[in-house]
Formats: sequence, structure tokens, C-alpha cells
Amino acid sequence: MTEDSMIQVSALRKTYRMGTTLVHALDGVDLTVERNTFSVLLGPSGSGKSTLLYLLGGLDRPTSGKITINRTNLDTLDENALALYRRKTVGFIFQSFNLIPTMNALENVAFPMSFVGIPSGQRKKKAYELLKVVGLEKRALHKPTELSGGQQQRVAIARALVNDPPLILADEPTGNLDTASGHLVLQILTELHQSGRTVLVVTHDERMVRYATNVVRLLDGRIVDHDITNFDDAAVPAAQESR
Amino acid sequence: MRLIDLIKLIFENLNRRKGRVVLTAIGVVIGTAAVVILVSLAIGLQQNATNQFGSIADLTQISVWPGMDEGGGGGGNMVVIAGGGGGGQTPQMKLLTPDKLKEFEAMPGVVAVIPREYMQANAFINYNKLETYANIVGMGTSDMSFFGYKLASGTWELKKGTAIIGGEMVKSFYDPKLRPGQEPPPPPELQDQEVKLTLIKYTTDANGNGVEVKKTMRIKIVGVTAETNNEAGYTMYMSLDDITAINEWVQGKRINYNKTGYSMVTVKVDDREHVLDVSDQITQMGFQANSAESYVQSIDSFFVVLQVIFGGVGAVALLVAAIGIANTMTMAIMERTREIGLMKAVGATNRDVLSIFLGEASGIGFIGGLGGVIIGWGGGQIINVLASAYLAGQATQGGPPTTLSIYTPTWLPIFAILFATLVGLLSGLYPALRAATLVPITALKYE
Repeated sequence: MTEDSMIQVSALRKTYRMGTTLVHALDGVDLTVERNTFSVLLGPSGSGKSTLLYLLGGLDRPTSGKITINRTNLDTLDENALALYRRKTVGFIFQSFNLIPTMNALENVAFPMSFVGIPSGQRKKKAYELLKVVGLEKRALHKPTELSGGQQQRVAIARALVNDPPLILADEPTGNLDTASGHLVLQILTELHQSGRTVLVVTHDERMVRYATNVVRLLDGRIVDHDITNFDDAAVPAAQESR
Repeated sequence: MRLIDLIKLIFENLNRRKGRVVLTAIGVVIGTAAVVILVSLAIGLQQNATNQFGSIADLTQISVWPGMDEGGGGGGNMVVIAGGGGGGQTPQMKLLTPDKLKEFEAMPGVVAVIPREYMQANAFINYNKLETYANIVGMGTSDMSFFGYKLASGTWELKKGTAIIGGEMVKSFYDPKLRPGQEPPPPPELQDQEVKLTLIKYTTDANGNGVEVKKTMRIKIVGVTAETNNEAGYTMYMSLDDITAINEWVQGKRINYNKTGYSMVTVKVDDREHVLDVSDQITQMGFQANSAESYVQSIDSFFVVLQVIFGGVGAVALLVAAIGIANTMTMAIMERTREIGLMKAVGATNRDVLSIFLGEASGIGFIGGLGGVIIGWGGGQIINVLASAYLAGQATQGGPPTTLSIYTPTWLPIFAILFATLVGLLSGLYPALRAATLVPITALKYE
């Protein structure tokens, strides 16, 4: 653990109230993730892995504990600063893609840049470049309903990259995809890691472990295992779907 | 977020649910149209009323009559009370003597002070075979032009032995020997013609019997007015000297205005703004002063109340529309909760989200306002055309032509659109605040 870790979490707790009972989604989590790593957060449903991901992404506030991401202590941020943190530091990838149905692929990718105040022309140019990276430049003008699940997820990945965030957080990115599409998404995520980003993926798919440099296992809101391995180039999956 | 991007996004979002937006906006259309038509009607009615006043009497004139002096101050009253039945104090008339007229003239803003007298004799005017009864006023000025009345022909310059006659009075000439069934003669051309003025007074002879005494004089008509519905249309103006001479003949004695005062004085002021001021000063001197301006002001305040009431009726419709907007926006936010979560996840601030949804609500208000203004303005124009056609038909049956005008001043549509937009904005406030303050993860997980 160094001062310059990408993620430093200590004594993190998140408690929900479900009716009259309290649910401890996270029950004292300590975690450090170094820069330029590919971490996989594993655990069964209800283990608190998604909750941890969202707290790291600043989408929710912890009940107690401290989160420091990229040298920023999230506790000290007000709502506005937290929004700027999400904008600049984090790129989210969701299981259900969360594309805006009325926008085409290009517009969906460009959308986050409009909050930054980048002019329309530049937004579209950059969005097109990113669609090229995920191999979807030919489908730029298609609406989400005209794209396959895998293609939608690749659009969502391109969207996560528009503001050049150092940290990519993915919640079950392959959960809604067939095996081939899932492989392609994984390959892109690996490439993002290789390009210098820190990638954290929440999944219950054990197969992902072999691409990871870090494997964190959660159970009942606690970390039960944290393996750190050296990244193995051989583990990069081969593309099974033509881009 | 750049304003242009915000506006574009707002209209794209509104475009996504056209049907609902249109239905919601129709409420605003009805409300705004009602506001525009009703307020335009009130303004039109007000303009009609003030215009008629403007033509009946020049708004910069004050009519002054002698006042009833109230007992010469408080001390005098004390004496009366103390004196018991000691021959009660008769109120003194406050006379419009030439001295007082000079005081009026000295007041700031006063342009002219013109005394006037009604002729006290019965009179009729003959021209060739035609005759009419005469309503004659003596004016203490040689130049009547600054009254602002319109002339059909001739001059406003009034000298001894001349007269300016009202255009409507010219039409009242008739032929006394006309037999039934005969075509009445056309009104005479009196400009620069001499008419015979016959004056009649009643007196008693040595035996106490009533005697009718007649006197005739010839008067040259130097001007004919073009006025129709005011004094200048139905009056023959002569010089005050002529009328004083006639009144002296009627009364059988000299008239000294220093002792009797004039029966009425017209005070002409330079600007409408000074009318009430001068009028107040004259009233404080103990005279009775009256100006069209004071009527116009009370009429104005009445019509302001009318506008507010009419506007209020339309505003009720807008209130209902506002509830519709709030409902639509609440629905939209529920449907798009996940989208709100996504916007926040990709870096939208609470303010961005608030702006987007407030903008959408305002957009519905704006679209409705625009539609309402077009329909309200267009409806007003149609009513104007129909009403003037109807009233023109009525006018042929006699009487002066009436006009009903719905008048929409430029500020009204602008105000109406802004107001409708504001209504949208306020209706969207609660739903938009709810959207903006959603916890991102709650929004993202919303089913």
C-alpha cells in the first residue's frame, strides 16, 4: 500500500434500512488498489460487491469509513464536487448498458461531454474516435434498439471513456451478454488496463479471474480474500467476435 | 453545460413525448389565449372610453365655476354659534372676477384663461328661408384655435360681429314653411355668409303685463366646425363683448364683471400632467373646478381593475394548466429516473439535472404561451372584424358609429409568453428539484 494508490478504503460500512430491519451491505471493508491494475470483485448476490463499487464511484455515500480515490477523499466532497469527481475520475459501465434510447450511438457517447461544456463539433469528433476504438464507427448513427447487446455495451464503454477517466468501474459488464460478446467486452477492458487505466470489475463470473491482477472476494459485506498477482499477457482473451 | 446544448437537449426531450407535451401545452394555450383576449378587450374598452373623452373635451382644459364660500373661516362660524338666532350668515359666492382670472393665469402650467358667458336671451337664427334655434356662447378670446377643435371651413379668429358655428348646428336648419311630404332642404353653406339673429326678451309694461321684446342683428359666419359629438358641434361661438351687450339689453342694466364675476371660465393647461395640479389649486381658492382628466383618471383606474379581473379569469385557466404541467413533469421524471441516474453517473451536477427538467417544464409553458398568444391575438382580430361589421350594420339605423375594439398592445403577447413560461417553470420546480436531488444509485436502480 502506497500513498499513491488509486483506491484506498478503510473501515467502510454501508447500512440500509429495509422496513424495520437494518441490512449491513458493507461491514468494515479495508481495501487498497494500486494504479494500473485490473481488479475483479467477486462474490455471490448480496455480498456487497456492487455496493462497494457504487461507493467507490461516488454514486452513493457510505454510512461510515473513509474512501480515497486518486488522492481525493470522497467524504470531503459536496454534491457538486462529487459530480465533478464522477465526471473526471470515473468511467462507469453498467450491466444494463443504460444508453439513452432516443439518442444514437454517437450521441450517447458524446452525451457526458455536454456537461463539461465541450462544443458539439468536438464532442462528435471525439465520440467517433472512441466508437472506432470499440469497433463501432460504422454503427455510429444507429439507435440502441438497432444494436445487439454486445454492441450496446461497447457503446457504453466508449461513453465511459469520453472524459479520459483514470478509473473504470464496471458492474457485471458481461452479465447480459452472450459468451462471444462477453469476451469482446473483456478484451476491451483488458486493453484499457494495458493503456494505463485502473479497471475494477464487479462480477460473479469466476472465469474473469484469469484476466485480473487483483482478485477480491466478498461475502456478507466483508472481504474474505484479496489475491494480488502479476498481470499475465497470455491471459488476454482472443477476440471471438469480429469488430 | 452550455446554454445552446441545454436548450437543444430540452427540445429533444420534449420532442420524445410529443403527444403528452401537446396535450399538456393545450391547457396553457387555453389559459394564455384567455388572458390575451380578455386583457385586450379590457384595454380596448378603456381606449374607447378615453378616446371619447378626448373628443368630448380637450383633456388639458379645466372648467371653473364660481364657488360657494364657506363662511369665511372657522372664526366666523364661532360667531354664528355665539350669536344664536342673530340672522344666519348667508354663504358668499366666490366670484370669478377678472382679478381672480389673473391669479389663475399666474399659476405654473396655465396657458390661457378664457371667460365665457351664455347668452341670456331666447334666440333664433335665420338664413334665407331657413331657421334654427340658437345655442350661443360668448368666448373671452379672439383666438379659439388652441381648444384643439377641428374646423370644416373658415377661421378660429373671433371678432365683434362675427361667429363660428357648429357643424351639427348647421344641419339643424329647417324650413318653417315646409309642407308635409316635401323634401327637406340641404344644410346651408354658411361660410362667410351673414345670418340674421333674432333675440327675444320678456319684460313687463307699465300695467304689469308681460311683453315680448324682439331685436335683430346681423352676424357674419367666419368659421364652421367639423366637430360632431361635443359642444363645438352644437354651439355658435360669438365674442364675449357681443354677448355681454346682448345680456345687458336683456337685463336692462350695465354688467360689471368685477362685481358679478363670469359665470364660467375655461383654464387651458400646457400638459395633461399639470391638469390635476392646477385644478387642485383652483379648488383650494374656493372655486369649483372640473376637468376631463379627472374623469379619465378615475376611468383609467376602473379599467385597470377590469384588466386585473379579466386577467385573473385567464390566470385561473393557467393555474389549471400549471397543475397539468406539474403532473406531466412528475410522470416524465418517474419514467426517466434511470436516465437521471445515468446523467449523474456520467458527471451531471444537481444543477444540470435541475436545469434540464426546469427547462422542459418551462418549454411546455413557452410552447403553450406561444400557441395561446397566436390564438388569443388572432381571435381578437376576428372578433374585431365581426364586431365592426355588426356595429356598422347597426349604425346605419341612426346614431353615431360605435366601435368595439379589442386592442392588443405589443407588451401583452410578450408578457403572456413570459408569464406562461414562468408558470411552466414554477410548475416544474417541485418535480425538477426531486429529480435533481435523487441519489444517483437509487435512480440507477429504479425499476
